Amino acid sequence: MKILAWRAALLLGALAAWEALARPLSPVLYVAPSRLPAAFSRIAAVNDMPPLGAHAWLTLEEVAAAYALAVSAGLWLGFLLGLRRTVGRIYEPLLAAVYAIPSVVWYPSLMLFFGLGPASKIAFGFLLGFFPVALSVLAGIRQVPQHLITVAVSMGARPGAVFRKVMLPAMASTMVGGLRAGLALSVVGVLVGEILGARAGLGYVINYAYGLLMTGEYAALVLIVGAAVLTIDATGAWLESRVRRWTT
Amino acid sequence: MDHVIAPDRRQWPRATVAAAQLASVAGAVLVWETAVRLRVADPLFVPTPSAVAAAVFSGGAETLPRLCDTLLKALSGYALAVVIGVTAGLVIGSRRMLHDVAMPFVVALYGIPKILVLPWIALVFGLGLSTAVLTAALFAVFPIALMVAAGTRDVDPSLITVARSMGATRRQIEIKILLPAVLPSVLAGMRVGMVFAMLGVLLAEMFAGVRGMGFLMQRMAMSFKAAELFAATLIVSTLSIAVVLLLEHVNHRLGRWR
Repeated sequence: MKILAWRAALLLGALAAWEALARPLSPVLYVAPSRLPAAFSRIAAVNDMPPLGAHAWLTLEEVAAAYALAVSAGLWLGFLLGLRRTVGRIYEPLLAAVYAIPSVVWYPSLMLFFGLGPASKIAFGFLLGFFPVALSVLAGIRQVPQHLITVAVSMGARPGAVFRKVMLPAMASTMVGGLRAGLALSVVGVLVGEILGARAGLGYVINYAYGLLMTGEYAALVLIVGAAVLTIDATGAWLESRVRRWTT
Repeated sequence: MDHVIAPDRRQWPRATVAAAQLASVAGAVLVWETAVRLRVADPLFVPTPSAVAAAVFSGGAETLPRLCDTLLKALSGYALAVVIGVTAGLVIGSRRMLHDVAMPFVVALYGIPKILVLPWIALVFGLGLSTAVLTAALFAVFPIALMVAAGTRDVDPSLITVARSMGATRRQIEIKILLPAVLPSVLAGMRVGMVFAMLGVLLAEMFAGVRGMGFLMQRMAMSFKAAELFAATLIVSTLSIAVVLLLEHVNHRLGRWR
């Protein structure tokens, strides 16, 4: 209770400080919190801004496509490298090396290849989401206690049963963590793609507002998108904790 | 599946694995080269590896100063992020009340895609150096702070109690117990932070740059210079891997000191 009060106080203090700082400065560059409600209502007015609903829907579709691809490819490669030891020893270091590269370096090439449309955003979202999924499967497989498998096999369990009844539960929590990180990164990838160059989508609307120096609208959009991302992530965290409880 | 069930089967020796890695990379390059030569892929979008290799050498004069520019900005932003992130992490991690109050905000700020704020930073700070440095710091500071805070919080309190009961001074506790205990998470945070700082700089340059590798790459993509673009991608990737390996090496050395 006391902690909640302190949190609220911290938030209000930050808002007040922001207001006090932004008030005397240029309203084109700095948006005081008190100007935000008006900006929110202006976003909704269609004649000022591109229609938000259609753009948000497109972004959502791009994220869904990117994440679906990332999950299927990530799970496939993760299990392939994790379950076949020799293949894993050869390709896992290569995978880790590629993961150490700051991902934006791929974006110009993807843009060149897939154009400015949704395809390049989906490709980039896929690329970002793919690595945490694949690497978490690999980490999960390594976590499975060997003696459980030995016991199951010695009691006559078939490989399929060992996989379903022993391996999957033991690696589930790590894997779900990777799936959650992958979703967050797929969202980031699509947004980065849209902001760096697009003709539609939420990133495009943000750039549109920024380009016309509609800073209030821009700030409101950032808050909306940020809140949406945090909501998605919180849902992922909730699911993760459910899976953790189920497996332990 | 088999090795999981019967783990002690014969293993490839390390040299064979390395040879297989080299062979697969070489094979992939070869397949790529023939695919483009046979026009399976359009050379306008996908250059041949030989053209990329030629572009790496011919474009060196243009690339090198831009690369230094990008690296310098990344290092400045990184230094800023390390100072702020490590301090914030130590402070938040070592005070219980503050940790409980402030942590949700730090996590939320970490979770929000920083790209959203990039237009505003570019608006306020313009197209130059400070935008890129600030973006790099912004990208790197939260992962560092989170990792250091988590590491600081997990220091075993009984160690401190024991040291205090044996008459250690505050200073001794800090240097002999807290520092070694916190060091691994600080180093881990610093390693992750470097990748994020590079990411931030490249992104800022792609979005609102007039110099640097990010800007160069974006311009190459816009003007369909595929070979040059792939060459630039290759150079930046190699550099990032080298930096990460270097930090890992330092990490390892310091780990031994501990």
